[in-house]
Amino acid sequence: MSLIGHGGKEIVERVMDPQEAVDKIRSLTQIPIRNQIAREVIMLSYGFFTPLEGFMTKADVDGVVESMRLASGVVWSIPIVFDMSSEEIAAKGIKEGDTLLLMSQNQPLATLDVEEIFEYDLKNMAAKIYGTDDEKHPGCARTYRYAGRFIGGKVTLVNPPRMNEPYDAFFLTPRQMRAKIAEKGWERCVAHQTRNVPHSGHEWLMKHSWIACHADQPVEKTTTGVVVSAVMGEKRKGDYIDEAIVLTHDALRKYGYFREDVHLTSIIMWDMRYAGPKEAIFHAIVRTNLGITHHMFGRDHAGVGSYYDPYDAHRIFDTISKDDLRITPIRVLEWWFCPVCGEVTYMGLCGHTKERQNFSGTVVRSIIQDGVKPPRIIFRPEVFDIILETAGKYGFGSAYVNDQYLAQRQPLFTVPPLEL
Amino acid sequence: MTHHEETFPINVWINEERFAKLQAVKLGDLTQEVFAGLKVLRVPCTAEQRDKVLAVFPTAKFDSATTKSVEQLPRDVKDKIFDLVVEKASVDIMEEFLAGY
Ligand SMILES: [Zn+2]
Repeated sequence: MSLIGHGGKEIVERVMDPQEAVDKIRSLTQIPIRNQIAREVIMLSYGFFTPLEGFMTKADVDGVVESMRLASGVVWSIPIVFDMSSEEIAAKGIKEGDTLLLMSQNQPLATLDVEEIFEYDLKNMAAKIYGTDDEKHPGCARTYRYAGRFIGGKVTLVNPPRMNEPYDAFFLTPRQMRAKIAEKGWERCVAHQTRNVPHSGHEWLMKHSWIACHADQPVEKTTTGVVVSAVMGEKRKGDYIDEAIVLTHDALRKYGYFREDVHLTSIIMWDMRYAGPKEAIFHAIVRTNLGITHHMFGRDHAGVGSYYDPYDAHRIFDTISKDDLRITPIRVLEWWFCPVCGEVTYMGLCGHTKERQNFSGTVVRSIIQDGVKPPRIIFRPEVFDIILETAGKYGFGSAYVNDQYLAQRQPLFTVPPLEL
Repeated sequence: MTHHEETFPINVWINEERFAKLQAVKLGDLTQEVFAGLKVLRVPCTAEQRDKVLAVFPTAKFDSATTKSVEQLPRDVKDKIFDLVVEKASVDIMEEFLAGY
Protein backbone atom coordinates (compact mmCIF):
# COMPACT_ATOMS: atom_id res chain seq x y z
CA MET A 1 0.00 0.00 0.00
CA SER A 2 1.51 3.31 -1.09
CA LEU A 3 1.40 6.17 1.36
CA ILE A 4 2.57 8.82 -1.07
CA GLY A 5 0.17 11.74 -1.13
CA HIS A 6 -0.10 15.07 -2.88
CA GLY A 7 3.19 16.74 -3.74
CA GLY A 8 4.94 13.38 -3.52
CA LYS A 9 4.93 13.58 0.27
CA GLU A 10 4.15 10.62 2.50
CA ILE A 11 0.89 10.70 4.47
CA VAL A 12 1.93 11.29 8.08
CA GLU A 13 -0.54 11.41 10.94
CA ARG A 14 0.20 14.12 13.48
CA VAL A 15 -1.62 12.51 16.38
CA MET A 16 -0.42 12.05 19.97
CA ASP A 17 -1.71 9.63 22.55
CA PRO A 18 -3.87 11.77 24.89
CA GLN A 19 -2.38 10.31 28.08
CA GLU A 20 1.15 11.02 26.85
CA ALA A 21 0.10 14.48 25.72
CA VAL A 22 -1.38 15.56 29.05
CA ASP A 23 1.92 16.55 30.68
CA LYS A 24 3.04 18.50 27.63
CA ILE A 25 -0.17 20.46 27.15
CA ARG A 26 -1.20 21.19 30.76
CA SER A 27 0.46 24.58 30.96
CA LEU A 28 -0.23 25.78 27.41
CA THR A 29 -2.38 28.82 26.66
CA GLN A 30 -5.86 27.59 25.80
CA ILE A 31 -7.57 28.95 22.70
CA PRO A 32 -11.20 28.05 22.03
CA ILE A 33 -11.72 27.47 18.30
CA ARG A 34 -14.84 27.57 16.15
CA ASN A 35 -16.18 24.43 14.49
CA GLN A 36 -14.75 25.18 11.05
CA ILE A 37 -11.23 25.44 12.50
CA ALA A 38 -11.77 22.27 14.54
CA ARG A 39 -12.71 20.39 11.37
CA GLU A 40 -9.62 21.70 9.58
CA VAL A 41 -7.40 20.79 12.52
CA ILE A 42 -8.67 17.22 12.33
CA MET A 43 -8.18 17.08 8.55
CA LEU A 44 -4.65 18.48 8.83
CA SER A 45 -3.69 16.05 11.59
CA TYR A 46 -4.74 12.94 9.68
CA GLY A 47 -3.01 14.04 6.49
CA PHE A 48 -6.06 14.90 4.36
CA PHE A 49 -4.26 18.13 3.46
CA THR A 50 -0.81 16.62 2.81
CA PRO A 51 1.79 18.14 2.29
CA LEU A 52 0.44 20.69 4.79
CA GLU A 53 1.26 19.87 8.39
CA GLY A 54 -0.53 22.86 9.82
CA PHE A 55 -1.98 26.25 9.06
CA MET A 56 -0.22 28.21 6.34
CA THR A 57 2.51 30.74 6.94
CA LYS A 58 2.57 33.93 4.88
CA ALA A 59 4.90 32.55 2.20
CA ASP A 60 2.46 29.70 1.55
CA VAL A 61 -0.58 32.00 1.49
CA ASP A 62 1.26 34.32 -0.91
CA GLY A 63 2.10 31.44 -3.21
CA VAL A 64 -1.46 30.11 -3.16
CA VAL A 65 -3.00 33.53 -3.73
CA GLU A 66 -0.62 34.67 -6.44
CA SER A 67 0.27 31.49 -8.31
CA MET A 68 -1.82 28.60 -6.94
CA ARG A 69 1.27 26.99 -5.42
CA LEU A 70 2.72 26.59 -1.95
CA ALA A 71 6.10 28.16 -1.26
CA SER A 72 7.60 24.73 -2.00
CA GLY A 73 6.13 24.85 -5.52
CA VAL A 74 3.47 22.20 -4.86
CA VAL A 75 0.07 23.02 -6.44
CA TRP A 76 -2.43 24.32 -3.89
CA SER A 77 -5.54 26.40 -4.51
CA ILE A 78 -7.28 27.40 -1.26
CA PRO A 79 -5.64 29.12 1.75
CA ILE A 80 -5.84 27.03 4.91
CA VAL A 81 -5.44 29.65 7.62
CA PHE A 82 -5.89 30.17 11.33
CA ASP A 83 -7.19 33.63 12.15
CA MET A 84 -7.14 35.52 15.42
CA SER A 85 -7.77 39.14 16.33
CA SER A 86 -4.78 41.30 17.26
CA GLU A 87 -6.64 42.08 20.54
CA GLU A 88 -6.79 38.38 21.47
CA ILE A 89 -3.14 37.89 20.50
CA ALA A 90 -2.14 40.83 22.71
CA ALA A 91 -4.44 39.87 25.60
CA LYS A 92 -3.09 36.34 25.69
CA GLY A 93 0.48 37.44 25.06
CA ILE A 94 0.88 35.11 22.12
CA LYS A 95 4.22 35.33 20.30
CA GLU A 96 6.14 33.41 17.69
CA GLY A 97 7.72 30.30 19.17
CA ASP A 98 4.79 29.61 21.53
CA THR A 99 2.63 26.51 21.41
CA LEU A 100 -1.13 26.95 21.86
CA LEU A 101 -3.69 24.44 23.02
CA LEU A 102 -6.72 24.51 20.74
CA MET A 103 -9.95 23.80 22.61
CA SER A 104 -13.08 22.42 20.97
CA GLN A 105 -16.32 21.47 22.77
CA ASN A 106 -14.53 22.75 25.93
CA GLN A 107 -11.93 19.99 25.65
CA PRO A 108 -8.32 20.02 24.44
CA LEU A 109 -8.21 19.02 20.77
CA ALA A 110 -4.80 19.88 19.33
CA THR A 111 -1.70 21.97 19.70
CA LEU A 112 -0.68 24.75 17.32
CA ASP A 113 2.97 25.80 17.07
CA VAL A 114 3.12 29.54 16.50
CA GLU A 115 5.69 29.79 13.71
CA GLU A 116 4.53 33.10 12.33
CA ILE A 117 1.96 35.79 13.10
CA PHE A 118 1.03 37.85 10.07
CA GLU A 119 -1.49 40.15 8.46
CA TYR A 120 -2.94 39.73 4.99
CA ASP A 121 -4.81 41.84 2.46
CA LEU A 122 -8.16 40.07 2.55
CA LYS A 123 -9.53 41.81 -0.51
CA ASN A 124 -6.60 40.62 -2.59
CA MET A 125 -6.93 37.11 -1.14
CA ALA A 126 -10.63 36.97 -2.04
CA ALA A 127 -10.17 38.45 -5.51
CA LYS A 128 -7.38 36.05 -6.49
CA ILE A 129 -8.92 32.90 -5.03
CA TYR A 130 -12.54 33.48 -6.00
CA GLY A 131 -12.08 35.60 -9.11
CA THR A 132 -14.31 38.23 -7.48
CA ASP A 133 -14.18 40.38 -4.39
CA ASP A 134 -17.98 40.54 -4.15
CA GLU A 135 -19.00 40.18 -0.53
CA LYS A 136 -22.11 38.30 -1.67
CA HIS A 137 -19.90 35.41 -2.78
CA PRO A 138 -19.95 33.04 0.22
CA GLY A 139 -16.21 32.36 -0.06
CA CYS A 140 -15.40 36.08 -0.11
CA ALA A 141 -17.80 36.63 2.79
CA ARG A 142 -15.96 33.93 4.75
CA THR A 143 -12.64 35.61 3.90
CA TYR A 144 -13.91 39.00 5.08
CA ARG A 145 -15.01 37.45 8.38
CA TYR A 146 -11.43 36.48 9.26
CA ALA A 147 -10.10 38.28 12.31
CA GLY A 148 -7.21 40.67 11.60
CA ARG A 149 -4.21 38.35 12.05
CA PHE A 150 -3.19 34.86 11.00
CA ILE A 151 -1.10 32.31 12.86
CA GLY A 152 0.89 29.90 10.73
CA GLY A 153 2.31 26.71 12.17
CA LYS A 154 2.05 22.96 12.62
CA VAL A 155 -0.86 21.31 14.39
CA THR A 156 -0.86 18.04 16.33
CA LEU A 157 -4.00 16.29 17.49
CA VAL A 158 -3.71 15.53 21.21
CA ASN A 159 -7.21 14.21 21.79
CA PRO A 160 -8.65 12.40 18.76
CA PRO A 161 -12.38 13.05 18.37
CA ARG A 162 -14.90 10.24 18.32
CA MET A 163 -17.19 10.26 15.29
CA ASN A 164 -20.86 10.03 16.20
CA GLU A 165 -23.41 7.69 14.70
CA PRO A 166 -24.13 7.47 11.77
CA TYR A 167 -20.90 9.16 10.61
CA ASP A 168 -18.63 6.71 12.42
CA ALA A 169 -19.28 4.13 9.71
CA PHE A 170 -18.20 6.51 6.94
CA PHE A 171 -15.24 8.50 8.25
CA LEU A 172 -11.98 7.10 6.92
CA THR A 173 -8.63 8.82 7.35
CA PRO A 174 -6.25 8.79 4.36
CA ARG A 175 -4.38 5.82 5.84
CA GLN A 176 -7.62 3.98 6.56
CA MET A 177 -9.02 4.75 3.10
CA ARG A 178 -5.85 3.48 1.44
CA ALA A 179 -6.07 0.27 3.46
CA LYS A 180 -9.75 -0.09 2.49
CA ILE A 181 -9.00 0.44 -1.20
CA ALA A 182 -6.25 -2.20 -1.02
CA GLU A 183 -8.59 -4.60 0.77
CA LYS A 184 -11.18 -4.14 -1.98
CA GLY A 185 -8.56 -4.90 -4.61
CA TRP A 186 -9.18 -1.66 -6.45
CA GLU A 187 -6.38 -0.60 -8.74
CA ARG A 188 -8.38 2.45 -9.70
CA CYS A 189 -11.22 4.29 -8.07
CA VAL A 190 -13.11 7.47 -8.78
CA ALA A 191 -14.28 10.06 -6.27
CA HIS A 192 -17.80 11.40 -6.42
CA GLN A 193 -17.95 14.64 -4.46
CA THR A 194 -21.38 15.31 -3.02
CA ARG A 195 -23.55 17.40 -0.74
CA ASN A 196 -26.76 15.92 -2.13
CA VAL A 197 -29.00 12.96 -1.75
CA PRO A 198 -28.71 10.98 -4.98
CA HIS A 199 -31.40 10.93 -7.65
CA SER A 200 -30.71 8.72 -10.64
CA GLY A 201 -28.99 11.60 -12.45
CA HIS A 202 -26.31 11.47 -9.74
CA GLU A 203 -26.32 7.70 -9.92
CA TRP A 204 -25.52 7.91 -13.62
CA LEU A 205 -22.74 10.42 -13.02
CA MET A 206 -21.16 7.77 -10.80
CA LYS A 207 -21.76 4.94 -13.28
CA HIS A 208 -20.36 7.08 -16.08
CA SER A 209 -17.24 7.91 -14.12
CA TRP A 210 -16.80 4.29 -13.04
CA ILE A 211 -16.91 3.14 -16.66
CA ALA A 212 -14.54 5.91 -17.77
CA CYS A 213 -12.18 5.14 -14.91
CA HIS A 214 -12.22 1.41 -15.57
CA ALA A 215 -11.44 2.03 -19.25
CA ASP A 216 -9.14 -0.62 -20.73
CA GLN A 217 -8.70 -2.77 -17.64
CA PRO A 218 -9.70 -6.45 -17.73
CA VAL A 219 -13.31 -7.09 -16.75
CA GLU A 220 -13.43 -10.53 -15.13
CA LYS A 221 -12.31 -9.23 -11.77
CA THR A 222 -13.41 -6.04 -10.02
CA THR A 223 -10.44 -3.69 -10.02
CA THR A 224 -12.30 -0.37 -10.07
CA GLY A 225 -14.47 1.31 -7.48
CA VAL A 226 -16.61 4.38 -6.87
CA VAL A 227 -15.84 6.31 -3.70
CA VAL A 228 -18.63 8.65 -2.68
CA SER A 229 -16.90 11.42 -0.75
CA ALA A 230 -19.57 13.47 0.99
CA VAL A 231 -18.56 16.87 2.28
CA MET A 232 -19.70 17.61 5.82
CA GLY A 233 -19.25 21.11 7.13
CA GLU A 234 -21.14 24.20 8.07
CA LYS A 235 -24.78 23.82 7.09
CA ARG A 236 -27.09 26.45 5.74
CA LYS A 237 -30.86 26.47 5.95
CA GLY A 238 -32.31 24.47 3.07
CA ASP A 239 -29.27 22.16 2.64
CA TYR A 240 -29.88 18.44 2.92
CA ILE A 241 -29.22 17.22 6.45
CA ASP A 242 -25.88 15.39 6.69
CA GLU A 243 -27.44 12.14 7.88
CA ALA A 244 -29.68 11.96 4.80
CA ILE A 245 -26.71 12.54 2.48
CA VAL A 246 -24.55 9.69 3.78
CA LEU A 247 -27.30 7.18 4.43
CA THR A 248 -28.98 7.61 1.03
CA HIS A 249 -25.68 7.22 -0.80
CA ASP A 250 -24.95 4.10 1.17
CA ALA A 251 -28.45 2.83 0.29
CA LEU A 252 -27.48 2.71 -3.41
CA ARG A 253 -25.00 -0.01 -2.46
CA LYS A 254 -27.17 -1.61 0.21
CA TYR A 255 -30.04 -2.09 -2.23
CA GLY A 256 -27.89 -3.28 -5.11
CA TYR A 257 -27.92 -0.28 -7.46
CA PHE A 258 -24.17 -0.56 -7.08
CA ARG A 259 -22.56 -3.88 -6.37
CA GLU A 260 -21.09 -4.36 -2.93
CA ASP A 261 -17.60 -4.74 -4.40
CA VAL A 262 -17.60 -1.51 -6.45
CA HIS A 263 -19.02 1.13 -4.13
CA LEU A 264 -17.97 2.83 -0.92
CA THR A 265 -19.54 5.80 0.85
CA SER A 266 -17.26 8.03 2.90
CA ILE A 267 -17.15 11.53 4.35
CA ILE A 268 -14.66 14.33 4.67
CA MET A 269 -15.01 17.40 6.85
CA TRP A 270 -14.74 20.62 4.94
CA ASP A 271 -16.56 23.93 4.86
CA MET A 272 -17.30 24.64 1.23
CA ARG A 273 -15.73 27.83 -0.12
CA TYR A 274 -17.68 27.68 -3.43
CA ALA A 275 -14.49 28.60 -5.26
CA GLY A 276 -15.56 26.75 -8.43
CA PRO A 277 -12.41 25.81 -10.40
CA LYS A 278 -10.03 26.50 -7.49
CA GLU A 279 -12.16 24.37 -5.22
CA ALA A 280 -12.14 21.60 -7.84
CA ILE A 281 -8.35 21.53 -7.57
CA PHE A 282 -8.61 21.46 -3.79
CA HIS A 283 -11.09 18.56 -3.88
CA ALA A 284 -8.74 16.72 -6.24
CA ILE A 285 -5.86 17.21 -3.77
CA VAL A 286 -7.82 15.87 -0.79
CA ARG A 287 -8.95 12.80 -2.75
CA THR A 288 -5.39 12.24 -3.95
CA ASN A 289 -4.38 12.05 -0.31
CA LEU A 290 -7.14 9.51 0.27
CA GLY A 291 -5.46 7.28 -2.31
CA ILE A 292 -8.15 7.79 -4.93
CA THR A 293 -6.89 7.67 -8.53
CA HIS A 294 -9.65 9.54 -10.43
CA HIS A 295 -12.08 12.35 -9.66
CA MET A 296 -15.37 13.08 -11.34
CA PHE A 297 -16.20 16.70 -12.12
CA GLY A 298 -19.68 17.50 -13.37
CA ARG A 299 -21.40 20.71 -14.33
CA ASP A 300 -20.68 23.73 -12.13
CA HIS A 301 -18.51 21.87 -9.64
CA ALA A 302 -18.37 23.78 -6.33
CA GLY A 303 -19.80 26.83 -8.05
CA VAL A 304 -22.26 29.36 -6.72
CA GLY A 305 -24.52 31.89 -8.41
CA SER A 306 -23.14 32.89 -11.79
CA TYR A 307 -19.56 33.62 -10.73
CA TYR A 308 -18.12 30.75 -12.81
CA ASP A 309 -18.85 29.21 -16.16
CA PRO A 310 -20.38 25.75 -15.61
CA TYR A 311 -17.26 24.12 -17.07
CA ASP A 312 -14.52 26.35 -15.60
CA ALA A 313 -13.86 23.55 -13.11
CA HIS A 314 -13.10 21.23 -16.05
CA ARG A 315 -10.83 23.65 -17.89
CA ILE A 316 -8.60 24.46 -14.94
CA PHE A 317 -7.16 20.93 -15.13
CA ASP A 318 -5.78 21.79 -18.59
CA THR A 319 -3.43 24.22 -16.86
CA ILE A 320 -1.92 21.64 -14.51
CA SER A 321 0.56 18.99 -15.51
CA LYS A 322 0.20 15.35 -14.52
CA ASP A 323 3.39 15.67 -12.49
CA ASP A 324 1.72 18.32 -10.34
CA LEU A 325 -1.46 16.41 -9.62
CA ARG A 326 -1.55 12.63 -9.35
CA ILE A 327 -5.32 12.22 -9.64
CA THR A 328 -6.97 12.05 -13.08
CA PRO A 329 -10.02 14.24 -13.65
CA ILE A 330 -13.04 12.64 -15.28
CA ARG A 331 -15.08 15.37 -16.90
CA VAL A 332 -18.77 14.78 -17.31
CA LEU A 333 -21.60 16.81 -18.85
CA GLU A 334 -25.20 16.45 -17.66
CA TRP A 335 -27.43 13.42 -17.41
CA TRP A 336 -31.13 14.01 -18.01
CA PHE A 337 -34.38 12.17 -18.52
CA CYS A 338 -35.44 11.87 -22.17
CA PRO A 339 -39.05 10.82 -22.84
CA VAL A 340 -38.15 9.87 -26.42
CA CYS A 341 -35.28 7.62 -25.41
CA GLY A 342 -37.47 6.54 -22.48
CA GLU A 343 -34.56 6.62 -20.09
CA VAL A 344 -32.09 8.66 -18.13
CA THR A 345 -29.46 9.52 -20.71
CA TYR A 346 -26.45 11.70 -21.35
CA MET A 347 -26.24 15.14 -22.87
CA GLY A 348 -23.25 13.95 -24.87
CA LEU A 349 -25.31 11.16 -26.47
CA CYS A 350 -29.02 11.98 -26.63
CA GLY A 351 -30.09 14.18 -29.55
CA HIS A 352 -33.56 15.05 -28.19
CA THR A 353 -32.48 18.36 -26.74
CA LYS A 354 -35.96 19.86 -27.17
CA GLU A 355 -37.77 17.02 -25.44
CA ARG A 356 -35.28 16.41 -22.64
CA GLN A 357 -36.32 16.87 -19.01
CA ASN A 358 -33.57 18.08 -16.69
CA PHE A 359 -33.21 16.94 -13.11
CA SER A 360 -34.23 20.16 -11.43
CA GLY A 361 -33.19 20.75 -7.86
CA THR A 362 -36.36 22.71 -7.22
CA VAL A 363 -38.58 19.91 -8.52
CA VAL A 364 -36.72 17.22 -6.57
CA ARG A 365 -36.94 19.31 -3.41
CA SER A 366 -40.65 19.85 -3.87
CA ILE A 367 -41.28 16.13 -4.43
CA ILE A 368 -39.35 15.25 -1.28
CA GLN A 369 -41.15 17.88 0.77
CA ASP A 370 -44.48 16.47 -0.31
CA GLY A 371 -43.37 12.88 0.32
CA VAL A 372 -44.84 11.74 -3.01
CA LYS A 373 -42.75 8.81 -4.18
CA PRO A 374 -41.48 9.55 -7.70
CA PRO A 375 -41.04 6.99 -10.51
CA ARG A 376 -38.10 4.66 -9.77
CA ILE A 377 -36.37 5.63 -12.99
CA ILE A 378 -35.61 9.06 -11.52
CA PHE A 379 -35.53 8.26 -7.81
CA ARG A 380 -34.90 4.92 -6.17
CA PRO A 381 -37.75 4.03 -3.81
CA GLU A 382 -35.38 2.86 -1.07
CA VAL A 383 -33.48 6.14 -1.30
CA PHE A 384 -36.73 8.04 -1.04
CA ASP A 385 -37.80 6.02 2.01
CA ILE A 386 -34.47 6.72 3.71
CA ILE A 387 -34.82 10.44 3.08
CA LEU A 388 -38.18 10.45 4.86
CA GLU A 389 -36.83 8.17 7.60
CA THR A 390 -33.75 10.32 8.29
CA ALA A 391 -35.96 13.44 8.23
CA GLY A 392 -37.90 11.92 11.12
CA LYS A 393 -34.98 10.42 12.98
CA TYR A 394 -32.39 13.21 12.67
CA GLY A 395 -33.97 16.20 10.92
CA PHE A 396 -36.83 17.19 13.24
CA GLY A 397 -39.27 16.17 10.52
CA SER A 398 -37.40 17.71 7.60
CA ALA A 399 -34.81 16.34 5.19
CA TYR A 400 -33.67 19.94 4.83
CA VAL A 401 -31.76 21.93 7.40
CA ASN A 402 -34.03 24.17 9.45
CA ASP A 403 -33.47 26.34 12.53
CA GLN A 404 -34.08 23.44 14.89
CA TYR A 405 -31.52 21.27 13.12
CA LEU A 406 -28.96 24.07 13.22
CA ALA A 407 -29.50 24.52 16.95
CA GLN A 408 -29.94 20.94 18.11
CA ARG A 409 -28.41 18.59 15.57
CA GLN A 410 -26.11 15.89 16.73
CA PRO A 411 -22.53 16.99 16.00
CA LEU A 412 -20.37 15.02 13.58
CA PHE A 413 -17.92 14.17 16.34
CA THR A 414 -17.44 14.40 20.07
CA VAL A 415 -14.16 15.52 21.60
CA PRO A 416 -13.75 13.15 24.55
CA PRO A 417 -13.20 14.60 28.04
CA LEU A 418 -9.49 14.97 28.85
CA GLU A 419 -8.44 16.07 32.35
CA LEU A 420 -5.40 18.26 32.43
CA MET B 1 -65.06 29.99 -10.15
CA THR B 2 -64.41 30.11 -13.87
CA HIS B 3 -61.07 29.19 -15.37
CA HIS B 4 -60.80 32.39 -17.40
CA GLU B 5 -59.60 34.58 -14.59
CA GLU B 6 -56.03 34.50 -13.38
CA THR B 7 -55.36 31.79 -10.83
CA PHE B 8 -52.59 31.19 -8.33
CA PRO B 9 -52.36 27.43 -8.28
CA ILE B 10 -51.17 24.99 -5.66
CA ASN B 11 -49.13 22.30 -7.42
CA VAL B 12 -49.86 18.80 -6.18
CA TRP B 13 -47.49 16.03 -7.27
CA ILE B 14 -49.17 13.06 -8.86
CA ASN B 15 -47.41 9.71 -8.90
CA GLU B 16 -48.89 6.49 -10.24
CA GLU B 17 -50.83 5.78 -7.07
CA ARG B 18 -52.45 9.21 -7.03
CA PHE B 19 -53.02 9.16 -10.78
CA ALA B 20 -55.12 6.02 -10.42
CA LYS B 21 -57.30 7.78 -7.84
CA LEU B 22 -57.75 10.79 -10.13
CA GLN B 23 -58.62 8.59 -13.09
CA ALA B 24 -61.26 6.86 -11.01
CA VAL B 25 -63.05 10.22 -10.63
CA LYS B 26 -62.35 11.20 -14.24
CA LEU B 27 -59.79 13.91 -13.40
CA GLY B 28 -56.79 12.17 -14.95
CA ASP B 29 -56.83 14.54 -17.94
CA LEU B 30 -56.30 17.57 -15.73
CA THR B 31 -52.78 16.52 -14.83
CA GLN B 32 -49.68 17.60 -16.71
CA GLU B 33 -46.60 15.46 -17.16
CA VAL B 34 -43.57 17.14 -15.58
CA PHE B 35 -40.75 14.70 -15.22
CA ALA B 36 -40.26 11.07 -16.24
CA GLY B 37 -43.91 10.20 -15.75
CA LEU B 38 -44.35 12.25 -12.62
CA LYS B 39 -47.33 14.55 -13.07
CA VAL B 40 -48.64 17.68 -11.45
CA LEU B 41 -52.21 18.71 -10.70
CA ARG B 42 -52.73 22.43 -10.46
CA VAL B 43 -55.41 23.27 -7.91
CA PRO B 44 -56.50 26.82 -8.67
CA CYS B 45 -56.81 29.59 -6.08
CA THR B 46 -58.23 33.07 -6.57
CA ALA B 47 -56.10 35.97 -5.37
CA GLU B 48 -58.23 36.09 -2.25
CA GLN B 49 -57.86 32.35 -1.57
CA ARG B 50 -54.11 32.61 -2.15
CA ASP B 51 -53.86 35.36 0.46
CA LYS B 52 -55.81 33.28 2.94
CA VAL B 53 -53.57 30.25 2.32
CA LEU B 54 -50.49 32.39 2.94
CA ALA B 55 -52.03 33.79 6.11
CA VAL B 56 -53.17 30.44 7.51
CA PHE B 57 -49.99 28.50 6.70
CA PRO B 58 -46.99 30.67 7.59
CA THR B 59 -44.41 28.45 5.84
CA ALA B 60 -46.16 28.93 2.49
CA LYS B 61 -44.79 31.33 -0.08
CA PHE B 62 -46.07 32.57 -3.39
CA ASP B 63 -43.37 32.10 -6.01
CA SER B 64 -44.06 35.02 -8.31
CA ALA B 65 -40.72 34.78 -10.11
CA THR B 66 -40.58 31.28 -11.61
CA THR B 67 -43.44 28.86 -10.95
CA LYS B 68 -46.16 31.44 -10.23
CA SER B 69 -47.64 29.06 -7.72
CA VAL B 70 -48.13 28.66 -3.98
CA GLU B 71 -45.14 26.70 -2.65
CA GLN B 72 -43.81 25.34 0.66
CA LEU B 73 -47.16 24.21 2.00
CA PRO B 74 -46.82 21.52 4.68
CA ARG B 75 -47.07 17.99 3.38
CA ASP B 76 -50.20 17.08 5.34
CA VAL B 77 -51.99 20.16 4.01
CA LYS B 78 -51.28 19.15 0.44
CA ASP B 79 -52.37 15.61 1.22
CA LYS B 80 -55.69 16.99 2.48
CA ILE B 81 -56.10 19.15 -0.61
CA PHE B 82 -55.52 16.12 -2.81
CA ASP B 83 -57.98 14.00 -0.82
CA LEU B 84 -60.64 16.69 -1.13
CA VAL B 85 -60.11 16.91 -4.90
CA VAL B 86 -60.73 13.17 -5.14
CA GLU B 87 -63.71 13.30 -2.79
CA LYS B 88 -65.37 16.13 -4.72
CA ALA B 89 -64.19 14.88 -8.13
CA SER B 90 -63.23 18.49 -8.86
CA VAL B 91 -60.24 20.82 -8.54
CA ASP B 92 -62.43 23.74 -7.51
CA ILE B 93 -62.26 22.92 -3.84
CA MET B 94 -60.25 25.69 -2.26
CA GLU B 95 -63.26 27.63 -1.02
CA GLU B 96 -64.53 24.57 0.81
CA PHE B 97 -61.02 23.65 1.97
CA LEU B 98 -60.39 27.09 3.44
CA ALA B 99 -63.79 27.26 5.12
CA GLY B 100 -62.38 24.94 7.76
CA TYR B 101 -59.65 27.42 8.74
ZN1 LIG C 1 -33.27 11.10 -26.21
